[in-house]
Amino acid sequence: MDTIVQVRHLTKEFRVLHRRSGKWGAWNDFFHPQYRTIRAVDGISFDIQPGELIGYIGPNGAGKSTTIKMLTGLLVPTGGEILVKGMIPWKDRRKYVANIGVVFGQRRTLWWDLPVIDSLEVLKAIYRIPDPLFKHNLGMFRKILDLDSFLESPVRSLSLGQRMRAELCAAFLHNPALLFLDEPTIGLDVVAKERIREFIRHLHREGTTILLTTHDLTDVERLCERVMVLDWGKILYDGNLQELTSRFEGVNEMRVSFAENGEDGLLEGLEPPVREGRYYVYRIDPRKVSIPDLVSSLYRTHPVVDLEIRKPKLEDTIRKIYENKSLNTPD
Amino acid sequence: MQAFLKIVGISARQQMTYRTALVAGLFTNLFFGILRASLLIALYQGETSVNGMDVGGAITYVALSQAMIAYLTIFGNTEMGRTVSDGSIASDLIKPVHFILLWLGRDLGRSLVNFVVRGLFFIGLFSLFYSLYYPLEIGRWFLFFVSLIFSWLLNFFWRMLVNLGAFWSPDIQGFARLAFGFSQLFSGFVLPLRLLPDWFSRLSNWTPFPGMMNHPMEVYLGIYSPSQLLGAFGHQLIWLFILVFLCLALFRLGIRRLVIQGG
Repeated sequence: MDTIVQVRHLTKEFRVLHRRSGKWGAWNDFFHPQYRTIRAVDGISFDIQPGELIGYIGPNGAGKSTTIKMLTGLLVPTGGEILVKGMIPWKDRRKYVANIGVVFGQRRTLWWDLPVIDSLEVLKAIYRIPDPLFKHNLGMFRKILDLDSFLESPVRSLSLGQRMRAELCAAFLHNPALLFLDEPTIGLDVVAKERIREFIRHLHREGTTILLTTHDLTDVERLCERVMVLDWGKILYDGNLQELTSRFEGVNEMRVSFAENGEDGLLEGLEPPVREGRYYVYRIDPRKVSIPDLVSSLYRTHPVVDLEIRKPKLEDTIRKIYENKSLNTPD
Repeated sequence: MQAFLKIVGISARQQMTYRTALVAGLFTNLFFGILRASLLIALYQGETSVNGMDVGGAITYVALSQAMIAYLTIFGNTEMGRTVSDGSIASDLIKPVHFILLWLGRDLGRSLVNFVVRGLFFIGLFSLFYSLYYPLEIGRWFLFFVSLIFSWLLNFFWRMLVNLGAFWSPDIQGFARLAFGFSQLFSGFVLPLRLLPDWFSRLSNWTPFPGMMNHPMEVYLGIYSPSQLLGAFGHQLIWLFILVFLCLALFRLGIRRLVIQGG
């Protein structure tokens, strides 16, 4: 299949006024402004294949939103290239945006004072959605996103969760092959989040290519096979989600409680354990030790009462990546 | 085209939801209309005609220009500029419609509602206080409406031009206030251009502003000679081309500098 998104050495710089402090700071800023260049996105490259669902994660200010804004044609890159479905987003913006769907979790696109359905009707005309397709999509989204109870209500009267569901529906009525979701679950409760994930899953099954930006790593764990981790405008990791955990922290935890405690719990081939109450906690590198073999031999040789293997949490792994990087990067 | 009409429609419906604001606006216009009319009568000091405009014509001028405040958004606004500074422009830019056309539709929808509620209703109420002139020839009504459409377009593109400044400056309020002050004065809204010194109305003819208010009013009153009429329409048309061109050019330049802050 052809690559749908191609990004090469993409860079975006912003020139910001460096504000001076002190008594005469504002005065000096007015007459002799000093500018400083900030590189929000620093030469990133990646490809997206049709049908992929990618989690795009990184701490605040990492450059995620800036990337999305360039990918959706809102911002003009300072350097590098973006080619999406053969188009350069910012150059062919009007033609291009008819082919994509965008949801900004912190912005609204629906008409504030009018019923949701009115906004959808306008979008139908704007995107030239044929009648049957409109009916089909609306019917489907009503079910998945549970829109029926508020389709006739003015947007301003909706709860945040309802509004986000309506926004998702609006962004997808024209069947775009490519969807950009910028923090679609921000500020939502668990139930609302799950409903939105269900919708994303549905679109993914239908073959839509989706780039998902989020701070909620549960979104990523539940939905994405591939993740890209961004910090300081650079991609720190791009690949499989499972590999991410093993690559950055290969260590699992094995917690064992034996029938007779009192020994030092030393096991051959493993580091000495730490005692936590009834449990001995061993750190295991699955690349060196086969966990299934270890567990079965342990049951044969020792009177095991309870045994538990804990995989590192994605959150911890990601935090490690951020922390390591920021230690190595001079400010 | 269908999309444009839908945008006009939804904008009109949105405007209709602000009933209280519409009625309040109507009465504000009425209050200041009566004030302006009384002042003009006082200034005429019993003169029957000043520079080809009699008292009745001047009062009709005030009534019409007052009625068109909301329709033409003669005081200006910085609504579009704000979307640049707060980033909500993003929602418009991800739609496959030309940005300026989108705003044209939005403004037109609102203006049509204002034309009826704060225009026609206003004239109805105002005529309870003063007697107004009504043209008897169909032709003049026709010319008036054509001129009024041009003046709406001129107002729209003038406002757009001022708002496009937001791509270059994070706060255009001060600049916009100055710009809209100029356009109110030179358009003949503050006082009919005919009642101002000759050098001033000659100067104003070098700006697009008379086409935004003075021309349709004088077309309505039938003061123009046929050649002046032609000149007035030519003036409106030329300036419309210039403003449209400037808006498109500035938009193309500005969009490349866009910085969308936040999330």
